[in-house]
Amino acid sequence: MSFTTWTRRAVLGGLTATLAATALPALAQTLEKSSVGVLALSSSGPIFIAKAKGYFAKEGLDVELKMFTSAQQVPVAVASGDVDFGVTGLTAGFYNLAAKGAVTIVAAQSRDEPGFPLSAYVATNAAYEAGLTKPSDLKGKRIAITTVGSTFHYMIGILGQKYGFTVKDVTMVPLQDVPKMVSAFKGGQVDAILAPSTVSRQVVADGAGKIVGWAGDETPWQLGALFTGPKTIQQRRPVVEKFIRAYKTALAEYHAAFNAKDSSGALVKGPGYDELVAIIAEATKQKPEIVTAGLPYADPQAKLLIDDVVNQVKFWQSEGQVDKTLEPKSVMDLSFVGQ
Amino acid sequence: MRLLVSDLTHRYEDLTVLDGIDLTLAEGEVLAVIGPSGCGKSTLLGIAGGIVAPTSGRVSVEGPLPDGCLNPITFIFQDFALLPWRSVEDNVALVLEHHPLPTAERRERIETGLRRMGLWEFRKALPKQLSGGMRQRVGIARALAVRPAMLLLDEPLSALDAQTRELLMDDFLDLWRREKTTALYVTHNLDEALRLADRVVVLSRRPGRIREIVTVEEPRDRRQAPSAQAHLAEVRERLWHLMKAEAQMADREIAHV
Amino acid sequence: MSEILRSDALPSASPSLSGPQPVRFRGGGFTVRRHPWAALAAFAVLIGLWEGASRIGLASPLFLPPPSAVGAALSVMVTDGSLWLNLKASLGRIAVGWTLGTLGGMLVGFAMGIGSLARAVGVPLVSAFFPIPKIALLPLFILWFGIGEPSKFATIGFGVFFPTVIATYSAIDSVPRNLIRMAQSFGLPWRSILRSIVLPGALPGILAGFRISSSIALILVVAAEMIGAEYGIGAFVLMAGNLMQTDTLLAGVLVLSLMGLTIGTLLSLLERRLLKWR
Repeated sequence: MSFTTWTRRAVLGGLTATLAATALPALAQTLEKSSVGVLALSSSGPIFIAKAKGYFAKEGLDVELKMFTSAQQVPVAVASGDVDFGVTGLTAGFYNLAAKGAVTIVAAQSRDEPGFPLSAYVATNAAYEAGLTKPSDLKGKRIAITTVGSTFHYMIGILGQKYGFTVKDVTMVPLQDVPKMVSAFKGGQVDAILAPSTVSRQVVADGAGKIVGWAGDETPWQLGALFTGPKTIQQRRPVVEKFIRAYKTALAEYHAAFNAKDSSGALVKGPGYDELVAIIAEATKQKPEIVTAGLPYADPQAKLLIDDVVNQVKFWQSEGQVDKTLEPKSVMDLSFVGQ
Repeated sequence: MRLLVSDLTHRYEDLTVLDGIDLTLAEGEVLAVIGPSGCGKSTLLGIAGGIVAPTSGRVSVEGPLPDGCLNPITFIFQDFALLPWRSVEDNVALVLEHHPLPTAERRERIETGLRRMGLWEFRKALPKQLSGGMRQRVGIARALAVRPAMLLLDEPLSALDAQTRELLMDDFLDLWRREKTTALYVTHNLDEALRLADRVVVLSRRPGRIREIVTVEEPRDRRQAPSAQAHLAEVRERLWHLMKAEAQMADREIAHV
Repeated sequence: MSEILRSDALPSASPSLSGPQPVRFRGGGFTVRRHPWAALAAFAVLIGLWEGASRIGLASPLFLPPPSAVGAALSVMVTDGSLWLNLKASLGRIAVGWTLGTLGGMLVGFAMGIGSLARAVGVPLVSAFFPIPKIALLPLFILWFGIGEPSKFATIGFGVFFPTVIATYSAIDSVPRNLIRMAQSFGLPWRSILRSIVLPGALPGILAGFRISSSIALILVVAAEMIGAEYGIGAFVLMAGNLMQTDTLLAGVLVLSLMGLTIGTLLSLLERRLLKWR
């Protein structure tokens, strides 16, 4: 569903076990139990860090990580009460759950930010030669996405808002998952795809197309969020507060290590870089070089791009995919991050 | 039509079913073949009709064919072999379909056969709507439609109950009274052989060999008369004696098929 | 009566019946009786319970939307015309894909039923290819057939092809051999035997195969519409699932099952017409 769907290497029972073993057994008895649904992706890094470095335990929480394979499953698991918290990308499906009072955003996760290559617009060689050389040229083209209502769908929407076209001006071809998108792309069935950086770079390496731009550079937006159920906020507010404090500690470390730039604006390794890469690599079962290639930007205070979230809700409402009666601000409760 | 079978042997893999059969059917003769189950009676019929290839030996026919004969050697089956999806008349029509006949003659052949068997008013019926006896009558009508020179009857009454069997035997008597069609009649029922056959061949148990050929002296039409009963009882006794021994021994053998 | 059943009631005397005893009825049961309204009543009760559970708050409307919400979603589909648009797209795909797969499958099935060489080649091939999940082949189908209608026809067609092959050649196997021997004994030529005996004799088995292959076509239309379909019940259901619109999702599923019911009924009518002789 969101840009995270393509990674199917997840659900590793061993992962939870490994992480559980690192928690201090003596403390475990007095800790309050909690759980969080995540995908095995670098964007969940702050959660992995908070767990591995014992920040949750320090707050008195015994947090269990539950791994999911698709972004759609995480808010559903929160809504059903299978997990207390979730972190993933924001989709139309998420806002529909929010509209039914099942989930509430409490803090930011990663976002698309200039200089951080997360999602690329990739043109086929033929389309490139025919003049599709920059993102604004996507108007009027056939673009493969995963699904209607996905993060890619929204990325086309905001690109259009920037360059003065609407999603009606492009032909979106929903193909459900990345392998089918790549197939259609290589077969010349579409002019372009919107794809995660690893996939985009692979397609370019295969000689099948060219990257014409990055969503982060064109249209920075709030890609993901930390969310929980309204009931949890009501009934277990201290747990939410503790969770977010630990999350923010990890997030600040993450930001310092991965999002630091020098005076020229180039990315540099911040403090604890290698240690944190190792933690994420182990949690996602990825090679460190893959992890370092796709580390997204995250706000150090977990502050949300509120205007963008409002824009997202309005966009989905204009597309007819989210209930028109949903008040955009009602999907978030930002008292925990002081916004 | 005459049938000549000489030194006929048949094997299924290493199982000998028929062994050195020599047999002659005269023009218009009805020859019954009896014997215990598994003695190769039906195989003999299949070979005579050209639908089973014999291992060795020769089968030949000679003699004049009736007018309008389309299929000189014609079978009547134990299980009737009717197409369940065709009506009575269409089942008869089936065997005429590949012959170039004028429409009138085609119709005439079907109608004659069905009327003779008392099936005319059931011509639109499907086989499942008919009794067993009626179904076999369709089989007979179908055989008559091709005006055969020789009938090969493979236990034609075995699937029927006793009363129906009596009625159909009368139908056969009527047929041979009128047509004089040569016939090879395979059965395991002594009564049928005694009522219908001119001669009765007794086959031994497997491998089937001819044990004896018994002639029934009394003409077919007079066998119901009281004067015929003494002779028939004598033939019956003789046949039963021959068959009983074979049947008992066949019964004790372990089937090794 | 109790004496009849309990002979141990009189342990000392040898068993005997004193006076005429009525014979107790011991038969009955174990027979199939028709209850034409039972299925409808069961449905009604189930729907009633479901609605009631939602109304009193036992089931969250998100996880199990009540029948009334599903009905409302369905009526929206009817009034805004999307039902017809989606239905038309899916039925077209099913019709073309199923027809192609069925024709191909029957052709190959006939060859395998009649020719021993074709069977020797075909049986292992069919066994090898039949179990491949067609959904796994979708990326390949996109490369071969593009993302337009052909790849959707191919998805359905391939799914229908193999069960049709199997149904056809086993149907031909089940044609009674005595009928073929009969036809041979009357001198019917090979083509007549094929047309007049093998084909109609295999028809029940082939029609039974249609029942299976039409259900498969219905299942695969959802998979086929994963490939960039704008309209179609499958695309509609997928989108509703992605958007977490559970009431709309169930309305789409309801339409799918009604389609299945309709196709099944039509096939029953066809069977009753063509197989009157059974």
